[in-house]
Amino acid sequence: MGKILIVDDTLFMRTLLKNILFTGGHTIIGEAGDGAEAVEKFKELKPDLVTMDVVMPKMNGIEALKSIKQLDPAARVVMCTAVGQEQMVKLAIKTGARGYIVKPFQAPKVIEEVKNVLAT
Amino acid sequence: MKEVPAKVEFNNTWIVVKLGIAEDKIVIPAPVNLEIPYKSVNDLAEKKSTLIISYKAPAEATLKVKSVDKVLEILKKLILNSCNAYRLAAYFKSPAIRGGVLVTGAQWEKGSIVVVKTGIWFVSATKQVCIPLLDAAEITLTKTEVQGKQTDIVRIDHVDAGEVVASQVLCPLSTLQVLFNFLKDATKGMDMKGNELDGVAQQVAMLIYSGMDSHAIESMLNIPHKQLDGIYDQIIGLGLGEVTAIRREIQLTTKGVRYISDATKSQK
Repeated sequence: MGKILIVDDTLFMRTLLKNILFTGGHTIIGEAGDGAEAVEKFKELKPDLVTMDVVMPKMNGIEALKSIKQLDPAARVVMCTAVGQEQMVKLAIKTGARGYIVKPFQAPKVIEEVKNVLAT
Repeated sequence: MKEVPAKVEFNNTWIVVKLGIAEDKIVIPAPVNLEIPYKSVNDLAEKKSTLIISYKAPAEATLKVKSVDKVLEILKKLILNSCNAYRLAAYFKSPAIRGGVLVTGAQWEKGSIVVVKTGIWFVSATKQVCIPLLDAAEITLTKTEVQGKQTDIVRIDHVDAGEVVASQVLCPLSTLQVLFNFLKDATKGMDMKGNELDGVAQQVAMLIYSGMDSHAIESMLNIPHKQLDGIYDQIIGLGLGEVTAIRREIQLTTKGVRYISDATKSQK
């Protein structure tokens, strides 16, 4: 089970992910509402895994992913993309994302994906 | 003609027969005594290892067949190759996304799309996947990256064993357009305006989709049980959801309180 940082600009999606991951036995050690805050929280909290929304204000998820990978090349980041943004997935994978989930998502699949990424 | 063991439904009872599978027809011996040419089949569905074959000749009827996977696979291939259906050569990826997670290693398969009365079949040398039209949640003409290029595809979101699964079809744009229009028309009864639910009700629907129960939804959205009940009624009324379980809340009677008090005392 891991310590997880949830990054999404909507409170609703953060609450949903928090609930799903908590049910999966993980500890939510922090939340961020944009990319810049995500990078700061990553430095401060050193999570085992980050769930990262792609489209966010200030700094988007891809930029935040780049910054996090510069801080820690082994960082585990799972990207959350919306339907129709699948092309962003390739870019995120090239940048170092370990996994990706497409919104809307279903709890068991999210738990499985996070478990797989934590195992790597 | 090959003969294989199978069960067919006859007079509302399953009976064991030696099913004859020829290149152009299925032969069911006595007591059924029936020959079904594949080209007279106008619908094929599969539910839990049972094939449901609807045909027009010799008379309009339906036959249900159960057998081992290998036999059903042969039957499906023969029927889907010759039956009365809208058929096109295409590449498909099914499933491409399951429960919001892209399926690792999902590959484009070369094969054909066969659209029958109640479903869409993806058929390749190794696969026959059926999506019942009633299970198709959304059909979109969209783009995805194929070999580095943005390519037009038809994406079909459907419900499979309680999970939302997306499948993708790739073929020339003009054919995709025809397929898209055909599928949209076949499923138009399920189209909605998109403004039937207000913000909170949409959030409730999203949480249900994500697998949350009513207790979790109430606490996440901070809404009382009565309000959630009303939203559930709205969702059910629109045909967007169905009741799977009824949860009860009770309070203890005086007798119950006494029982618990006694039980606590005896634990001391």
